[in-house]
Amino acid sequence: MSTELIKVTINGKEFQVAKGARLIDVCREQGFNIPSFCYYADLALQASCRMCLVRIEKMPKLQTSCTITCTDGMVVTTESEEIEKAQRAMVEFLLANHPLDCPICDRGGECELQEMAFDWGNLEERFTERKNAQPEKYLSPIVANDPQRCILCKRCTRVCDEWMGEDAIEAGGRGANTVIGTFGGWLNCSECGNCIEVCPTGTLLDATYRHQARPWELQQTVTTCTYCSDGCQESVGSRAGEVMRVVARDRYVNGHNGEFLCIKGRFAHTFINDETRLRTPMIRYKKGGKLIPATWDEAVKFATRGLDKAAEAHGANSIAVVGSPRLTNESLYALKKFATELVGTENYTATDAFSLSPFFQNLGGQIATHRDIRHAKTIVLIGGEPEELQPFAGKQIRQAVRNGGAKLVIINSTPIRLKERATQFLHINPETEDAAVLAIFNQAHNELAARKMGVQETELIELRRTITNTEGDVVIMFGGEVSAEAQSLLAQMPYLFNKEGRRALLHPLPLYNNSVGATDMGLMYGKLGATEMLDAAGDSVHAMYVAGSFLPQHLTGREDSLGKLDFLVVQELFETETTRFADVVFPAASFAEADGTFTNSGGLVQRVRQTIPPVNQSKQDWVITAQLSKELGVDFGFQMSASAVFGEIAERIPAYAGLRYPLLKDETNPVQVKHATIEQRDLSQESEAIRARVEKMSDTATKINATPPVGHELFKIGTLTDKLPQMHLLASGNPKPPTLAVSPLYQITVDAGMKREAIGGD
Amino acid sequence: MSEQFTPNNPLPQEAKLPAEIASFSPAVEAEIDAHLAKYPVKRSAILPLMFIVQRERGYLDPPGVAYLADRLGVRITDIWEVATFYSMINTKPVGKYHVQICRTLSCKIMGAGKITEHCAKRLGIKPGETTEDGMFSLSEVECLGSCGTAPMMQIGFDYHENLSAEKVDEILDSCSRGEYRYSMKS
Amino acid sequence: MFIGAIGCEPLQLKRVNLEHSRTIDVYKRNGGYDAIKKVLGGMSPDDVINEVKKSALRGRGGAGFPTGMKWSFVPKDSPKPKYVVCNADESEPGTFKDRYLMERDPHMLIEGMLIAAYALGARINYIYTRGEYRYLINIMDAALDEARSAGLLGEKILGTDFSCDIYTHTGAGAYICGEETALLSSLEGLRGHPRMKPPFPAVSGLYACPTVVNNVETLTAVPDIIKMGGEAYQKLGTEKSGGTKVWSVSGHVNRPGVYELPMGYVDMEKFIMEDCQGILNDKKLKAVIPGGSSVYIMPAADITGKGVRMDYEGLVAAGSMVGSGGFIVMDETVDVFESTKNLIEFYKHESCGWCTPCREGTDWLVKVFKRIARGEGRPEDAQLILDLCDNIEGKSFCPLGDAAAWPIQSAIKKFPEDFKRHLAPLTMQTETEVAAD
Repeated sequence: MSTELIKVTINGKEFQVAKGARLIDVCREQGFNIPSFCYYADLALQASCRMCLVRIEKMPKLQTSCTITCTDGMVVTTESEEIEKAQRAMVEFLLANHPLDCPICDRGGECELQEMAFDWGNLEERFTERKNAQPEKYLSPIVANDPQRCILCKRCTRVCDEWMGEDAIEAGGRGANTVIGTFGGWLNCSECGNCIEVCPTGTLLDATYRHQARPWELQQTVTTCTYCSDGCQESVGSRAGEVMRVVARDRYVNGHNGEFLCIKGRFAHTFINDETRLRTPMIRYKKGGKLIPATWDEAVKFATRGLDKAAEAHGANSIAVVGSPRLTNESLYALKKFATELVGTENYTATDAFSLSPFFQNLGGQIATHRDIRHAKTIVLIGGEPEELQPFAGKQIRQAVRNGGAKLVIINSTPIRLKERATQFLHINPETEDAAVLAIFNQAHNELAARKMGVQETELIELRRTITNTEGDVVIMFGGEVSAEAQSLLAQMPYLFNKEGRRALLHPLPLYNNSVGATDMGLMYGKLGATEMLDAAGDSVHAMYVAGSFLPQHLTGREDSLGKLDFLVVQELFETETTRFADVVFPAASFAEADGTFTNSGGLVQRVRQTIPPVNQSKQDWVITAQLSKELGVDFGFQMSASAVFGEIAERIPAYAGLRYPLLKDETNPVQVKHATIEQRDLSQESEAIRARVEKMSDTATKINATPPVGHELFKIGTLTDKLPQMHLLASGNPKPPTLAVSPLYQITVDAGMKREAIGGD
Repeated sequence: MSEQFTPNNPLPQEAKLPAEIASFSPAVEAEIDAHLAKYPVKRSAILPLMFIVQRERGYLDPPGVAYLADRLGVRITDIWEVATFYSMINTKPVGKYHVQICRTLSCKIMGAGKITEHCAKRLGIKPGETTEDGMFSLSEVECLGSCGTAPMMQIGFDYHENLSAEKVDEILDSCSRGEYRYSMKS
Repeated sequence: MFIGAIGCEPLQLKRVNLEHSRTIDVYKRNGGYDAIKKVLGGMSPDDVINEVKKSALRGRGGAGFPTGMKWSFVPKDSPKPKYVVCNADESEPGTFKDRYLMERDPHMLIEGMLIAAYALGARINYIYTRGEYRYLINIMDAALDEARSAGLLGEKILGTDFSCDIYTHTGAGAYICGEETALLSSLEGLRGHPRMKPPFPAVSGLYACPTVVNNVETLTAVPDIIKMGGEAYQKLGTEKSGGTKVWSVSGHVNRPGVYELPMGYVDMEKFIMEDCQGILNDKKLKAVIPGGSSVYIMPAADITGKGVRMDYEGLVAAGSMVGSGGFIVMDETVDVFESTKNLIEFYKHESCGWCTPCREGTDWLVKVFKRIARGEGRPEDAQLILDLCDNIEGKSFCPLGDAAAWPIQSAIKKFPEDFKRHLAPLTMQTETEVAAD
């Protein structure tokens, strides 16, 4: 859109608007209410609901304002008898075949059609014929469908195509028989539920929440999602201490993700009130014995005594402090403080899949937020699989390409689904991502890199040309496949590609909601990493204090390591492989019961708000840490208030300087933390290390040619997703049940043979 | 929640779609290639190819749909949305002889209703149905561009115009006897 | 069935009654492919467009948009390929002229398309034929093969630098695909939904490239325009409606058929009573739908003795439209309520379902008409029907909504008696009362 201003007259008032602005947006910005169903920002225009009709001078008929681009001198009327008659007629048409039994519809109370009808008032029902009835059915374990409520705005089919790139749901049939559905009637998609979210009526419904509550009974709390590093803003609906649903509807929350959420964020919240949540603190009085419920006082005393004993016997460094990248910044900060200031150990870490510390230690430019990704002109994606691991980032990439005309270069050893949208796809040999980074960093290595990656040198030249020809933002994104040295190179790339009119922005793709926060809080800069720490168990490490659990990938081959410890304190939601060896277990509060902040992959620090009181006897992680430290004789001075902890973070951690909760209040304007920019530095040592490693790579590797199925990561069963029954069906290949009229949960037994390999630790 | 997980009544599971992909003779494949060659974008050939699959397999059955998706490089839902839009594409089996009688204005005022009644009575089915032996399907269709020679019906792609009850009987008789020959390749 | 010209020398129907008229030999022997030779022999694309502009040829598909102007909208400097698409998706009830033009003289269409392709710089062109006309596709394919063998299609046509090819494409049963943007959607392998205008197809049509969509009869008029010159062609008709028009006559006449008449033929009564040899079984004329089902119905009173001129302006003056030229004659036995019900059922079946008013409106109207037909009519139904039509008209995404509303509105207005009979007690407004509103 240009910055040139033009004059538009709306209802007799003159306005200066940007040339090329869409009339419906302009009218709404100026406070003229224009109803619509099918119009949805950043989706393809539909112009089918015919609600947004306006009168424009010199045009013969009423015009849909969603399709009109403002021109200079345009004279528009949005309110007149003629327009009101037309709009009433459209509502009347939409209601003709629509059931008028709102009280039994799950969308009742937050249905746009219902609101429109109420807004208009005195709608006389002239339609006395039989309504076209169709039975309700299930489209998947997650999506319930009541076809007769459909007004065919096709928001669902458009988000499925444009946001998700899946095209799983489409319109079939013709005329009055048009229905939303899919071939065979069964959705085999990523089950993101965005179609449910954008549905203005009760046509597509959340099958996990259906008939469980009415929206007006729910307390809606805006918070940040606890799954991946996208940091989606969501509204948690709870009733009497129970989380009933999670939505991102714009009537409740307006985060950077809009109404977007993925299956995990939207549906996999059942773990919060799961009956297997730890109920009380527990103590294992004897190695090999059982965990016995205890009071908080007993457990805290037992834990501190054990840690004290280990410190006395083996020194402070024999105690390791381990956090989880799922915890809030506040809890992670408390752990770091506990480790360094109270225990005085050098052994602290977070149980992340990979560390971003080399990246932040070399950061030579800005982190791209998700909004930056959407408006980027070129996106280079090295490794990673955002459509499965960071679904919102995947959506932003797709929209940048589709709506923003961005060029997308994908460098991946797997033909991931996103490659459908790619301008260029470098299909590289497995585990040669470092070679790609090396070549981008210094084209002198092109020949070597191309050979090891199994691509043509010209492909690397084209990639470089794409970057250097870009006017606007280049966003370089990378996954956990790149090594620590390669992260350093990537972090310094802005110095190579920044230019007048071009910014090179960086966007890491860590796996967890607070991976970046864990790095920021300093927990990733300890002496040992998670696996090294396990390897040192019983050797140099004799006691551990773990908030959360180790990931299966850490424990694989080290199943007994934790057993070698003298003393293990764990705070968790559930019993896990880590609590199996614990001497003391504290029940921890989940994100829904905690106050605090998460920092997402775009560096946005966003609020986590307490939605329900702590389940059972659980406490927030930082509260438990503070309690332990108090028992050990040090008062952290947190005053039982998360905001006090955050205040200390803001004082002590430069990137968070000046921040306070009130500044983070508005999810509509998220705050990016100010990561320090490191000056351009000599990276010859790192690049030489990479080059040497690349040299040793095979010349004749076999490529991976199969595109992984939808959901191969999303549907993996972890500690949290395990608690959503529907997830087990999806993880088992989402079989179509014999009848679609009944939830597949009642029809299909998931047996061990059906399950995909579980990885846990999601 | 978790009690839902105990199924009340375990039932056998249906195979996931598409279980199999249709295959065609080299001659048919060549015909398909010829259609694909006409367009710069493969998807454009979707309707011609649907007619071929329909001719070869009777209707767009799941393996046929899977074949189309594969051949055109589109998703299964793309085939579904298109197939269900066009009235000549059958997503359900139809009889060997598909009797389609025009019901629109010109034919109607020239007596299409009587022809339909006659056919329905004779075949013992209502429009929209198929005889039990799978020989005949009867449909009322919209204007087929035969208004000057009304009333009319189409069997397969053959036009039969200026119809009378006797003429209809003659045609249906030859179908029943297996003597009816389509006048054109489809 | 009659096929021939009345009141003028046959142009479109010049060869249709010849033996083997669909072969290239007969076509060539009767002046065929002379026009393309003339074009390639020294006319520039602009010359061709200018001749077409001069001819006052208007789109024969129904909308009547000036063809020359449509062609001139195609951007000359666009680097994208351009397409000419022939709209042979003839589905308007009462219309069957294109069918006979293609069946009997396929080469005339090919030549017309070649000239259009030359004028617009199109390399690949399609004939979108409705799926039910499979036999016509076979005929067209055979004719295209003949033309290809004769060097009239393909690379370097007639030894010039002009290369061009034409392919047939099949629809699959959807009236809406006769709307040009829906046709393009369908040709791209999508559902046949109309698209937003602008951009118009001339700028962004098939595969988002500049595209001209013309009806069969429009394109078959082009060779004669080139041969006789645009002005001469225009003079056959009237100032604003050039040339001749092919009418499809059906219904209660003694001689239905395909009639070529000069534009401005006077008058409609003579046409029915003399040229079409009068009403079947000596019944009385009740009504005529002159331009396919989508236009206003004309009662006999508006025809008899009124000297209705048969061209675009003349029919508008008489309260209807030329449309596609589907001329449906109804005698006194026809109940206009029933005939209107038949048409609204057609429109409901053919509504694509994209926009609210057309999808829901036609469905509702059919339900009301069916209820009335069951004998459950209510006095307020007439007002309801008119109001529903008003709510559809001008508010739908494409003209199909209007096309569904117009015949109903005119039927109620012109034949209130036929509706009154079904709606007791009788509170219908009379024609004069409606007119006074």
